[in-house]
Amino acid sequence: MTTLFLSALAVLLSGPVPALLGRTPLLRRVPRAAVTLWQSVSLAAVLSALGAGLSLVTDRGTREGWTGYGVALLALLLTAVVLGRMLLSGHRVGTRIRAVRRRHRDLVDLLATREHEAPERASVPAGRTAEAGVRVLAAQAPLAYCLPGLARSRVVVSAGTFDRLAPEEVGAVLAHERAHLRARHDLLLEAFTVLHTAFPRFVSSATALREVRLLVEVLADRAARRTHGRLPVARALVALADSRAPEAALAAGGARLVERIRLLEDDRPHRLLAVAVYAAAAATVVLPTAFVALPWLAGLTWLPGVAAG
Amino acid sequence: MPVALTSRMGELERAVMDELWSVDDDGWLTVREVHERLARSRDIAYTTVMTVMDRLSKKSLVRQQRDGRAYRYQAAASRGAMTADLMRGALEEFSERDRRGALVAFVGEASPEERAALREALAALESG
Repeated sequence: MTTLFLSALAVLLSGPVPALLGRTPLLRRVPRAAVTLWQSVSLAAVLSALGAGLSLVTDRGTREGWTGYGVALLALLLTAVVLGRMLLSGHRVGTRIRAVRRRHRDLVDLLATREHEAPERASVPAGRTAEAGVRVLAAQAPLAYCLPGLARSRVVVSAGTFDRLAPEEVGAVLAHERAHLRARHDLLLEAFTVLHTAFPRFVSSATALREVRLLVEVLADRAARRTHGRLPVARALVALADSRAPEAALAAGGARLVERIRLLEDDRPHRLLAVAVYAAAAATVVLPTAFVALPWLAGLTWLPGVAAG
Repeated sequence: MPVALTSRMGELERAVMDELWSVDDDGWLTVREVHERLARSRDIAYTTVMTVMDRLSKKSLVRQQRDGRAYRYQAAASRGAMTADLMRGALEEFSERDRRGALVAFVGEASPEERAALREALAALESG
């Protein structure tokens, strides 16, 4: 019974539920709550998949006979595969991301000037540069991004960006990037990248990753809007998207930019919606744990006693 | 490595690269030559310069060539070429086809139609 329920839950939470959430744009109006919901759905999916396998082991393993052992072995194998893929993917993605960032940071530190050395600095109030080092690259193509890291995070901006954007727009861009760094959005994205790399097909991990990517952008946009107002953020978005290289024309990232601008317009708090989404997030993790996993685990500690008696 | 030491290393790496970039394209410098140039403006040990250049060499930022008993060094590429490379690398990381999440760009890529839609959305926001 436990196995059946947990398997059904794992299937539901890794397929139809993320697909449904991905088709619910309303969630983007409460980005923080939506990110929490995505996390709890993914966590619950993984835990129930692992739990389903393990509960099959404990169900059958206590019975006599070869069939019991066979089923238990198979279930254990399945659990091991799920867990193994996650760990391997986590290791690979993490190693690669850190290598790229380290190399990139070395080069940035070598080639870029610090923001306060740059001629154009009206955009950033003095003293705030220490928060996350702003580095300016001597290149004309406009570009702004962040390099996350525990102690050595950087916001990188090309010199061309200062030419194309008004000072308050540059300020908005920097506020956006700093919001990413402060909230460690990179860790969130890394987790969902790991999940997607571990299970690229049959589950809606791509939807989850795509949606979480958009949500962290919306969160950072909102942080920039709080300090600089929505128009500078929107103008900077459009100006930078406009000046990107033409070979980028193949991509489909633009639709999300339009969505980000539309979402900038909406500054109502949506409290009721947020509460509902948080409640759903909590329920997704707590309910199966309380009603299925805990009784099952409680039963396990009881079993050896019964067997011994 | 403590942060203070790391940042001093970073600063020295910059100084060494600046010296290597300051000589003309085919120019090579020995550790001693780099040390002499750096010692004009700062108090620095020869062995420190050697360590820094070794680090740069391990990062493939400088080329190393044996010349008798000493090694000569040259920047792996000009400053401009390295900057262009860095920008290209960053853009590759952002591209939708090849995104692995090491870097996060302020804007992603947009097609011409999408840019038109973007400008419309902005116009709506400006008037609203």
